[in-house]
Amino acid sequence: MKKTLFYSLFIVMALMVGACGGKTDVVDSGTYDGTIKKVEAEKTEIYVETSDEKTLELYFTDETKLTQNGSEVPFSTLEKGQKVEVTVEKVGKRLDPKAVKILE
Amino acid sequence: MEQLPDFWRTEVWHPLTVHFPVAFLSLATIFLIAGYWLRKASPIYTGQALLIAGTIGAWIAVYTGGLADGIVSRQICDPTVLEAHENGAFTVAGLFSGASALVIGDYFGLLRQFRKLLRITIIILAITGSGFLAYTGHLGATLVYQQAAGVYTPSEDCKEFTETD
Repeated sequence: MKKTLFYSLFIVMALMVGACGGKTDVVDSGTYDGTIKKVEAEKTEIYVETSDEKTLELYFTDETKLTQNGSEVPFSTLEKGQKVEVTVEKVGKRLDPKAVKILE
Repeated sequence: MEQLPDFWRTEVWHPLTVHFPVAFLSLATIFLIAGYWLRKASPIYTGQALLIAGTIGAWIAVYTGGLADGIVSRQICDPTVLEAHENGAFTVAGLFSGASALVIGDYFGLLRQFRKLLRITIIILAITGSGFLAYTGHLGATLVYQQAAGVYTPSEDCKEFTETD
């Protein structure tokens, strides 16, 4: 009985470890509204959760335009929880952010 | 004109560090199984040393992988493979960290009353970790050989090589 419990515990542990880590989605090119889930400043990367509960992982490129109230702002303006409108281009299964508009 | 990039690029540190834990952890699993099976101390000690060194190496590889991720994610065509590779790496490091913690506990005589169970658990974690290690390594290989992640592609006329002699 003890053995069964112990093994079950480790199988559950292994599954939990296996399940950890983020799951992101690939969407078609277009414009999406969402909320910033995470900002990784050193990688100039953001995770955006769209209204249909998809998570987009977006790495900013030299071409990405980040704006707020119509003017361009630096990447450091981005914060978790901000509402954004993102325009992405799907290249293969990669999403290149063309424009990110901070809505608040 | 195309210029040959510096070899010591940020993304190169990952392949430089990742192969040590791959070798150490695979061998650790073999030595531990052999040692516990044959009830011989020397393969167990070798396996334990390899396991701890490999686990430290695995976390270093996770760190260097994170650095490479910020660069190659903008270049590859299917970042979902990279994401699976990253998640697999965390699983490998987590499982072998668990095994290492139990090995250290075993070494210091903690949980002495559960020694047999402890060793069985170490083996289960090491075998499961090795499975994930193979899968994660395979994903890493597909990133390099199918998507050229972190790989410099020479120009058609190889001009940049003649200029750097």
